[in-house]
Amino acid sequence: MAHPAVMQTPANRELGSGVYNEKLGIWVFLGSEVMFFTALIGSYIILRFSNPGAFAAPNTVLNIPVTATNTFLLICSSVTMVKAFAAAHDNDMAKMKWYLLATTLIGASFVGVQIYEYTHLIHSGFLPSGLREGSHFAELATAGELGLGTPDAGVAGIYGSTFYTMTGFHGFHVTVGVICLTYVTTKAFRGKYAQTDHRGIEVIGLYWHFVDLVWIILFTIVYLI
Amino acid sequence: MATTALPQEAAHAEAHELPFIRKYIFSTDHKIIGIQFLLMSLAFLGIGGFAAMLIRWQLGFPDVAIPGATILPETMAPGGYLLPEFYNSLVTMHGTLMVFFAVMPLLVGVFGNFLIPLKIGAPDMAFPRLNMWSFWIAVPAGVLMLSGFFVEGGAAGAGWTSYAPLSANSEYSGVFLGQQLWLLSLAVLGLSSILGATNYITTVVNLRAPGMTWFRLPLSIWALFITAILVLLAIPILSGAAIMLFFDQTIGTHFFDATGGGQPLLWQHLFWYFGHPEVYILILPGMGMVSDIIANGSRKPVFGYHSMVYALIAIAFLGWIVWGHHMFQSGMNPTLGMGFMISTMLIAVPSAIKTFNWMGTMWRGSIRFHVPMLHAITFVAMFVIGGLSGIFMASAPVDIFIHDTYFIVAHLHYVLFGGSLFAIFAAVTYWYPKMFGRMMDPFWGKVHWAITAVAFNVTFFPMHVLGAQGHMRRIYDPNQYEFLQPLQGTNTLITIGALVLFGAQFIFMGNFVISWFKGRKAPDNPWDDNGVEWTVHSPPPHLNFAETPVIYRAAYEYSSPLVEEDYLPQTRNLGSDSGPAAKPAAG
Amino acid sequence: MSETAKFKHPNYWAVWGLLFALTVVEVGVTFLPWAKELLIILLLGMAIWKAVLVALYFMHLRFEKMRLRIFVLAPLPLTVIIVVAVLTEFVW
Repeated sequence: MAHPAVMQTPANRELGSGVYNEKLGIWVFLGSEVMFFTALIGSYIILRFSNPGAFAAPNTVLNIPVTATNTFLLICSSVTMVKAFAAAHDNDMAKMKWYLLATTLIGASFVGVQIYEYTHLIHSGFLPSGLREGSHFAELATAGELGLGTPDAGVAGIYGSTFYTMTGFHGFHVTVGVICLTYVTTKAFRGKYAQTDHRGIEVIGLYWHFVDLVWIILFTIVYLI
Repeated sequence: MATTALPQEAAHAEAHELPFIRKYIFSTDHKIIGIQFLLMSLAFLGIGGFAAMLIRWQLGFPDVAIPGATILPETMAPGGYLLPEFYNSLVTMHGTLMVFFAVMPLLVGVFGNFLIPLKIGAPDMAFPRLNMWSFWIAVPAGVLMLSGFFVEGGAAGAGWTSYAPLSANSEYSGVFLGQQLWLLSLAVLGLSSILGATNYITTVVNLRAPGMTWFRLPLSIWALFITAILVLLAIPILSGAAIMLFFDQTIGTHFFDATGGGQPLLWQHLFWYFGHPEVYILILPGMGMVSDIIANGSRKPVFGYHSMVYALIAIAFLGWIVWGHHMFQSGMNPTLGMGFMISTMLIAVPSAIKTFNWMGTMWRGSIRFHVPMLHAITFVAMFVIGGLSGIFMASAPVDIFIHDTYFIVAHLHYVLFGGSLFAIFAAVTYWYPKMFGRMMDPFWGKVHWAITAVAFNVTFFPMHVLGAQGHMRRIYDPNQYEFLQPLQGTNTLITIGALVLFGAQFIFMGNFVISWFKGRKAPDNPWDDNGVEWTVHSPPPHLNFAETPVIYRAAYEYSSPLVEEDYLPQTRNLGSDSGPAAKPAAG
Repeated sequence: MSETAKFKHPNYWAVWGLLFALTVVEVGVTFLPWAKELLIILLLGMAIWKAVLVALYFMHLRFEKMRLRIFVLAPLPLTVIIVVAVLTEFVW
């Protein structure tokens, strides 16, 4: 018999947080994720404040229409995620399964769009280390079309450094989320969740909403400001 | 799949024997994992100490080849004389190994794991498999860290603080792969720590036994819980900063590179935003466990238990807004510096409250001078000295003179060795019987304590004098400066103290190993302690308790008028005034 | 045993609609010829509004016990402290 993975001492609910272990655990873990993104996003804010001329104007290097669509996609996946959880809560297992599948697929397409975005940016010369010499963006920079402080400010590279690190790690978190969602969706289709026990759905849901939340902040301050 | 595992049901289920590898290697039992962390950390403590011996030889006997060092390669110590580059690596790795792979896992990994479930009356951690992962992720982190010594360019050599641009640019440091391995190792270790912290926090919040309200928790558990929160929130900052530095080193980003539009000071701010909570991570658990031990050794409740809890919380809170005191000389904004000066002076207050409370606990107690008590009392005394030197550093104008000198080295060793390490010696000796079912030899324990206490002060007290006279830290050859040449005698004295200090630790290690096989068999409660862990066998069985314990009173009811004995365990039911309902079940 | 608080579900599609509308407005705002500082305040405000909506309704903080909400909100000042403190470096 397998060792029980969950420990819960009985009859002491009033002593605890009021929520079951896995839910408390994921909230606690998300606290650490908040601090992790604070380091990355905080550094971006600080570096941009200290050296605004090194950052291009919105929609000159980065593609707002594509990423706005991607934002829309992620928000949709957040709704399907919570609808899946609500369905399990209301004992509608069929709805739960389809909403989970939808969330997984939309999440995967978000990653796909981001990969497309990265490939295009790199191809046109926007690198983590700066603007590649002779590339499309480098020419635009020299021609003064990027809204940089000086024509060669973009070459210096903190724009690329901060952009790729922040969005890259966010994308990594989304990818991990998609992998976990695949696992949860598979489990759901095998009938492993019930109205009385759908903890896994709530846990991955909380993680997924957090990832969406971070993107909401990122989209605004990286792409729009 | 059982979701609510009552300990007795689960114990039945465990009647079958697990294979050796599941029982002792990839164990999910918090007690085994705690011991795994103990063995790993003690090994790193030895390696870190050895690095210190090499450093001290260079400073104490610069013209004498290190005995036996000819086995080291030419890239490190040709002819037995350390190369300056290797010296920089040693200084860096001594700090790094001691902070991340010795003290932190010893306090948090060992005692967090071992004590929390037992002392709160739980069968194991909230997430036992995650706990196993925490340990087995820490192991490759350790391997990565040590591998730096074996790569071209040697191990990281930019100090344990790894300031950019020295650490970012191999042209400046002379180290290539070593710096990157250092960062990767810490990123991996960070993951282990964060998962562990998640486990500890969830466990303390959710798995306390009936009657174990917050203010009945022993201070060791309060301290470990608050430390886990600090770990959870501070380590990710380091992870983020380390990733940015790694990218600066490898893919040409410019976060901390002024020529690329970045900010070197940003590294310092990020590092110390993590680094200051980190030093509280390194001391708080020791404070908690020392409280338990001093109460036991004094046969008295902890004086001012509630204020001890609030002091721990205050230290944890204030610890987030003092980080700039590590940066007074960096060229930072002076107004910001003034703010840090004030907050740093403030944080001395809760620490002082704790010190007075320890003394208040011992006052008029019936002191038992067992080995853990000796170490615990020494902890208080050495921590006071370390704290007092800290007040000098808190003052920015004074720090102008003592920053990056041996005055700082003295301070940090008084709090980390005089504080944390003595607390570790106390705690290991105290809980050894519960871990291994045997007692450590008390005579050799006292010999180890006495030599360590004396040699420690001979080694580190003169460093205050060195620092005040301008002897800078991390320096390979102080004699290149004429004004430092008269201090050579002091350096030699310190080295002799350090060699004796290092040698004395073999007594501890020997006692540890030999007692494991030959120590006197330990009873359930050798120290007549009130804690829940002493109500079960030494060592406890799998899943700890045959029945969920019920808690009837606070943690330190020594010399209680209610009973004849001078201790009154938390789980003992007197059937009278104290019961789980006597204290309101405030969550 | 799942102990999700029994609650009446909010209208998730309504929240989705609001998030969608805010996103559209945000993108629209970037085209306005107003002062940069004002645009930043508007955009940040909307981003925070969206984030709060996700936290309250999708992550159910609206319906959770107060202690969980405090627990979740407690680390947030730490995110602000480091950024504000370091920003003052560039002001002096």
